[in-house]
Amino acid sequence: MKELLARLTEMDGVPGFEDEIRDFVVSEAQKHVQSVTVDCVGNVLCFKKGEKAPSSPILLTAHMDEVGFLIKDITKDGMLKVAPAGSIDPRVLIGRRLRVGKNKIPGIISIKAIHLTTPEERKKAPELKSLYIDIGALDREDAEKLVSIGDPAVFDTAFASLGVDCIKAKALDDRVGCAILLKLMEEDIPFDTYFLFSASEEIGCRGAINAVSTIDPGFICVVEGTPAGDVPDTPEHLYSTRLREGAAISLIDGSTIYSRALRDKIIARLDREKIRHQFKLRQTGGNDGAAMIYGTGAKVFGLSVPMRYIHAANSVAYLPDVEDTLSTARVFLEEAASENE
Amino acid sequence: MELFTKLKLLTDPNGASGDELPASNAAAELLRRYTDDVEIDAFGDVIGHISCGDENAPTVMLDAHLDQIGFIVTEITKDGFLRFTTVGGVDGRMLPDSELCVITRRHGIIHGIVGAVPPHLQKGLGKQTDAISMEDMTVDIGMTGEQARSVVSIGDYMCFSGSAMALQHDFVTSRSLDDRACFLCILHALELLKDKKLPVNLLICGSTKEEIGGNGAQYVAERFKPEYAIAVDVTHARTADAPEVTGELAKGPDVSIGFNSRPDFAEKVIETAKKHNIPYQVAACPGRSGTNAWSIQPAGVKTLVLSLPLKYMHSPVEVLRLCDVENTGALLAAVITDFDGRADK
Repeated sequence: MKELLARLTEMDGVPGFEDEIRDFVVSEAQKHVQSVTVDCVGNVLCFKKGEKAPSSPILLTAHMDEVGFLIKDITKDGMLKVAPAGSIDPRVLIGRRLRVGKNKIPGIISIKAIHLTTPEERKKAPELKSLYIDIGALDREDAEKLVSIGDPAVFDTAFASLGVDCIKAKALDDRVGCAILLKLMEEDIPFDTYFLFSASEEIGCRGAINAVSTIDPGFICVVEGTPAGDVPDTPEHLYSTRLREGAAISLIDGSTIYSRALRDKIIARLDREKIRHQFKLRQTGGNDGAAMIYGTGAKVFGLSVPMRYIHAANSVAYLPDVEDTLSTARVFLEEAASENE
Repeated sequence: MELFTKLKLLTDPNGASGDELPASNAAAELLRRYTDDVEIDAFGDVIGHISCGDENAPTVMLDAHLDQIGFIVTEITKDGFLRFTTVGGVDGRMLPDSELCVITRRHGIIHGIVGAVPPHLQKGLGKQTDAISMEDMTVDIGMTGEQARSVVSIGDYMCFSGSAMALQHDFVTSRSLDDRACFLCILHALELLKDKKLPVNLLICGSTKEEIGGNGAQYVAERFKPEYAIAVDVTHARTADAPEVTGELAKGPDVSIGFNSRPDFAEKVIETAKKHNIPYQVAACPGRSGTNAWSIQPAGVKTLVLSLPLKYMHSPVEVLRLCDVENTGALLAAVITDFDGRADK
């Protein structure tokens, strides 16, 4: 799992530009499933036969895209202004390395030296519109030889182990979901299942809409990354999820009310098998579960790997939590359409 | 060995003020290509002597500081996060989600991520335009409290992590370009002076603790009492958010003029630059220079400040141009070869 996560997180794919991940997913999926299709917005929809057909289609989904930027403008000094693709707090951008475009041109975002600031200035974080990527271009013409308006830009972060059984990388949201789906696709499964690697979730869960209206599933499991606020400066009741407590199961969020019946059924199995799990306690955020309204109605199960510093260059997760999330997704595959109580 | 490679050898080791030894070792190693007479003193200052053969000739000290800004661990929380204080001038706005090296005394270097507030949990925790106070930040090393306490000790140092990286043309980004890039300028000068007859003795110093007051250079100046000293440090280069700055990249070394950078010495340096067609810039420096020249001067030394222009100083991604490193080294070499001992007419 660690090696797969290392590969996936070092690929670059902001919304609309998921090619690297898509190509990898397609080539892996083709080894294990009966059909792989890519649609008009870049979703990869895989269909794998199981031992029997379910009463209604089962869909497991994770998104391929990561938060990042598009180059919005190139100044006359050759600096690159950016527009965010996905929600990014500008405070995590200062002092970061990024890579721009297909050729991964290296660049940095920084601000003037502390010596040139006042204490009052230092209490205010610069806004995104005053920040820019510096690639070491001499002027606009020089920059335009290498990059263009519309080029994607991502954080330039290496995947690495951290501490004891933790990892840090960019794009853990939602390459962890992609990794879990890829692992499950290798296994024999009880019911025919659709595995959707969606595009462009970060700009409004757009990708999954096309897939849901095509398949009209009765059961959806969204495998995501979710914020863990369990750091010392956050009040405990705002943690939402914590590292080291297993797969995070959703109750309700900004876009979806999750099916209680389906959740209870799955949790009963998790308890019996002592698979560690917790609840996602805060109602913030949304995911591809939002797409469920584009079919005739589905029971949705929201499942996430807790991660700190989501939507930033360095997110942190606990590897055993990823394994617990994989186990829980497997339980979904087995229980969602089953007649068990 | 090419300039970028030497730069990486200098800037990749950690060496915050008071903990410079890895940087001192790297600097001493490179200095030994030019003289056998190299020592590292009890504080980590790298001291090299190059004799011109005449012990009555004046000594010119060339100094660049080896220390970088950093952090010291002050607390290990019950859940294994680290609280810290800063060493040198750190703008806390660079910290959220940045990666640090934690230099543990017991278990080598480990990595940590500075905690950042997740955007999804913004409600009630301040606006995105409020900078987060460093007192509210912690470093996540991916350990429980028990694990952290067995690996990290209070007093362990931390630095921004990241290796030097080339951008386009001769632009380079790294942490600790301030001021090890200037030690590289000195090494480049020595490269140009190799096999030349020198009119003066040279005292090369890679000093410690500049960022917290210049103590290292002060000890060395007091110990050897050179007649002259050139403090080679970085200066600000203009960026979009600092349009009032006069220094610029690719315009060559910056010669300071003022009390701490003697006007007559500066005039000679400018003449030398013109004579040898070396690009240069000039900066007014009325009082404290903010460099080791201030701590060297009281030992009775005639000081000059020569600066390398640098963008985004004190960030994890400072930016310089290698042509400025070359020209700064070239100007230092020319000043030495043309030295007629009358810089203080």
